[in-house]
Amino acid sequence: MPQDFPNPNNEALRSSHRTPVRTNEADEMGLLTRIQSGDQEAMSALFDRYGTMVYSVALRVLKDTGEAEDVMQEIFVQMWRNPSAFVSGRGSLGGWLVVVARNRSIDVIRRRRPSEPVELFALPSSTNLAKEAERNSLLEKIRGVMHSLPDEQKTSLELAYFEGLSHSEISEKTGDPLGTVKTRIRLALITIRKALKV
Amino acid sequence: MQALTPEENRDTQAHLDDCAYCRAVLSESLVDLAVIGMGTEQHSLPEGARLRLIERIARTPQETVSAPTTVTEFPARKEIKAGFGWLGWVAAAAALAIAAYLGYGNSKLKEQLNENRSQIALLAAQADRAQELTDALTSPVAKQVTLTESKQPALPVGHATYLPKRGALIFVASNLRPVAADKTYELWLIPANGKAPIPAGLFRPDASGSASVVLPPLPEGVEAKAFGVTIEDAQGSATPTLPIVMSGQ
Repeated sequence: MPQDFPNPNNEALRSSHRTPVRTNEADEMGLLTRIQSGDQEAMSALFDRYGTMVYSVALRVLKDTGEAEDVMQEIFVQMWRNPSAFVSGRGSLGGWLVVVARNRSIDVIRRRRPSEPVELFALPSSTNLAKEAERNSLLEKIRGVMHSLPDEQKTSLELAYFEGLSHSEISEKTGDPLGTVKTRIRLALITIRKALKV
Repeated sequence: MQALTPEENRDTQAHLDDCAYCRAVLSESLVDLAVIGMGTEQHSLPEGARLRLIERIARTPQETVSAPTTVTEFPARKEIKAGFGWLGWVAAAAALAIAAYLGYGNSKLKEQLNENRSQIALLAAQADRAQELTDALTSPVAKQVTLTESKQPALPVGHATYLPKRGALIFVASNLRPVAADKTYELWLIPANGKAPIPAGLFRPDASGSASVVLPPLPEGVEAKAFGVTIEDAQGSATPTLPIVMSGQ
């Protein structure tokens, strides 16, 4: 029978007799270790931390709430089935989940078989996604930068990221020369990278 | 990496294992992907989504713990520029060669994909047709009509269609007499080579006296001399029990 797990984002539950989930990096690794040992409550806590982010990316790509939820569920169930693939090594779990969500969603719209998982990788060292405050601060910064991009750069970047189009396909779709498309995406990425280094 | 075939993925992964420069470039791209994704406007989860996931997790067994995935540590962006001289240019040339190879592979892949799509569409149409045929033959709501000479009472009748090469048999019967609750009809294939009858499926008539047996498990390549139907105990029998109530050659 499924258990009723506490939602750490819910203040009422935080004050209950259950141990609240601490948001720090060591705790994130601890959660993963507990998931590896079959702790469903830890899985629930991890979902509370990253579920919305994963769902939002899938929804942005798929534009369908049902399909987005399917993608989100598959990702977390896969993580539950084989957490050892995620546990070891240094890297950003939140970033990893976002990339997997984006790739799986593109697979869905292109009717491809699911992609192989990507390798773990490190986000800029100043970023600690496990800490809610830092995570929110980073997300605000990213959104601000994305919003400030020139329209044509933003369009090219979004077509590449959220529709999974290649540079050539973007060129065909927008009617812009291929070189222009590449330049716009490169400039957009440089702007974002610069902003995050500050 | 997402658009590569498994073979291309293996080749690329092998190259990445040996090439710090390309690893770093790939890492940078993945970070870009993560960062842009995290900038996505956040939406509330659908109602009940959390509970549905938790219930699914509770039903899903974990796989046996395997050796942890090793993670390659990528150099920071500044190290990429500072750490490579001529070696970097050689690596860059190699990366360009790989990109050209992958571009060609991608083009071939698209051609293959289009061919596969056409093939799938054809197969899907054939499958639909086959399903339609099976449904018409076996559906309990299909009307079964036996045509006889005028004013003749309808007698029990069965039609067997058999393809020996594939061991495929479809049997449709109508106007069958009811059988006792602890009994069943059993269909038999009588081999042309004189060997023992082969059981070809159990069936009981519905309220209108109709029944069917579709693709029972039969050995391939057995020529049939005849087909027969007997009445057996409910669990069926390995050998026919006389009398044979229906038969045909």
